[in-house]
Amino acid sequence: MDSRFWLLVTLVLYAVGAFHALLFALLRRSVLTTISLTATLLGFAFHTAALALRWSEAGHFPALGLRDGASFLAWAIVTVFLLVYVTTRVDAAGLFAYPFAFALVFLANLTPATGRPDPVLQSLYLPVHLVLAVFGYGALFAAFTMGVMYLFQEKELRSRSPRRFYYLIPSLERTDTIGGRTVLGGFGFLTLAILTGFLWNHSLFGRYWTGDPKEWAGLAAWVIYVGILFARGRGGWGGRRAAWLSIAGFAVVVFTFAWATLAPTVALAQQ
Amino acid sequence: VIVVVGLNHETAPLAVRESLAFPKERLAEALLRARQEGGLGEAMILSTCNRVEVYGRTSSPASPSDAIAAFLARFHERPLADVEPHLYKLEGEAAVRHAFRVAASLDSMVLGEPQILGQVKEAYEAAEKAGSLGAVLNALRNRSIGAAKRARTQTAIGRNAVSVSHVAVELARKIFGDMHDRKVLLVGAGKMSHVAARQMVQMGARATVLGGRTFEKAESLAAALGGRAVPFERLRAELAAADIVVSGTGAPGTVIHREDVEAAQSSRRGRPLFLIDIAVPRDVAEDVARVSGVFLYDLDDLRTVAEANLRERRKEAAAAEAILDEEVAEFLDWRRSLEVVPLLVELRRRADEIRRAEIEKARHRLGALTPEQEKAIEATTSAIVNKLLHEPTVQIKQMAGNGPPEHVGFIRKLFGL
Repeated sequence: MDSRFWLLVTLVLYAVGAFHALLFALLRRSVLTTISLTATLLGFAFHTAALALRWSEAGHFPALGLRDGASFLAWAIVTVFLLVYVTTRVDAAGLFAYPFAFALVFLANLTPATGRPDPVLQSLYLPVHLVLAVFGYGALFAAFTMGVMYLFQEKELRSRSPRRFYYLIPSLERTDTIGGRTVLGGFGFLTLAILTGFLWNHSLFGRYWTGDPKEWAGLAAWVIYVGILFARGRGGWGGRRAAWLSIAGFAVVVFTFAWATLAPTVALAQQ
Repeated sequence: VIVVVGLNHETAPLAVRESLAFPKERLAEALLRARQEGGLGEAMILSTCNRVEVYGRTSSPASPSDAIAAFLARFHERPLADVEPHLYKLEGEAAVRHAFRVAASLDSMVLGEPQILGQVKEAYEAAEKAGSLGAVLNALRNRSIGAAKRARTQTAIGRNAVSVSHVAVELARKIFGDMHDRKVLLVGAGKMSHVAARQMVQMGARATVLGGRTFEKAESLAAALGGRAVPFERLRAELAAADIVVSGTGAPGTVIHREDVEAAQSSRRGRPLFLIDIAVPRDVAEDVARVSGVFLYDLDDLRTVAEANLRERRKEAAAAEAILDEEVAEFLDWRRSLEVVPLLVELRRRADEIRRAEIEKARHRLGALTPEQEKAIEATTSAIVNKLLHEPTVQIKQMAGNGPPEHVGFIRKLFGL
């Protein structure tokens, strides 16, 4: 059985997980979280197997092109969110992540694998750079989630007539703290990813900076996150400003990722 | 007849309740005027954040409700037409039932909240001190407070109390998570703010009390909470340091203004500020809620949150209502039995009068009698009277509990009383 089969199994399990996460948001029964978590954990195991198999099939690190890129990103996101859940026990965290991971794996299942010419793919920088970047994306997605939850909870509390989210989302302090930690982690990965990106550039083109939009976007995201970390000061309260910045930063990150996955084809074609 | 005229959180918005509240200092004066202007034999005034009610007892057959309503409006210098639509006027059994339900917290904004019983007790004490409490309202006090305690211990309406202060603590935790080392600033040393602050301190928060006119009061409250007391002039500085502010002064106007909070917010660097305004009239200006990072809840807002938590408690309320039904029925029985006591006394007095008159007549005819003969006549006549009156007495007492009230008049006519 090849990696495509395992990715399909993963898709089914993630679907179960995402469905129950949404159901939990509606009904708030703790048993639904258990089902959601179990299905996602199982799916994650199959997903890991599918990635390993795909690596050996392709002969290079499987993270370029829409299919491999989406699948790998989903895997990193699930990893990060499972970690967040294990350390914080915030049930609502999966509410955003699991459906998103499902959508990514769904996308991966629809697209055929792209076989592309090699010079880029054999480089040792590829796996290092990609692993760093993708975990950075995952952590920043978690920060984005916390930012959104912060704003929802704040809105409910300020409306003075709390409804669904009041019960679903943890306290402002908690989303703010988790948001701060995930931003810090994501920022660390992003910085390393950008540095390895420069080194990779240098080994390929002899220049650190090529002027590629992806580089600009990466830098913009990096600057935004520096801003967030400054705003928070030392262990301070980020508040709604940090929440909005987490969302803005993540939007830029999404652009960077989309460019990184799709554009290398363009860059290589230009050479 | 017992009457209740008043308004509560369901019939009147906060602004109306504020304008009709009785300040403690004027309670004695108000009680006196209520009795004069309402034509009441006894009066009690219950004035809390959520209700303003005048309890009265009158022996005249005319209903005093409209006179009491007029008194409420006149006392607060408001046109009666503004007040009238918010009022309920209850008489007789309905008034008694209402008194019991209020004391048992079944009529409260937050069902089962424990503070109301204390407020009811205080209101009766104030009426007693002002000399406006008689036998009837005093009986109502004892019975309704007893019934409230019974309802509280025998049902779960008071368990996991969703009192206003508890809701406030819950909201504070929704904002700040862990209460450990959070700073609570108390403005005014009221009882409700004390309750809320104590719960937060038990969870690890630290309290600061802002003193008002009587600084000793703030100091003693601060000591009870293990915190410190500071003069009111330090409001802005303390606002900047605080996480949670509980404001419950008895001040007639607002105490915390938008400029105060804005000045504090600039040095807070985005840290939220949770303002709980439990004062009536309100302490915190309404536009403070628009300051970024500020969460302002007044009493009505706390109610909105409590309502969401209340559905479970409503099931318990039915059981408490059943207990009150019993207690109200007992009280009414007792009241009716009291109504026939004068009738029975009169009946017996009349019979004795007739007996003595007849003995006098007999003495004239019989001349001097031996002590034995005197005794025999006395015993015989008394026995006749007692035997004749025995059955009517038993029947009247029984009727008092459940017979129609017009029977009393009928019996009076029958015996020519």
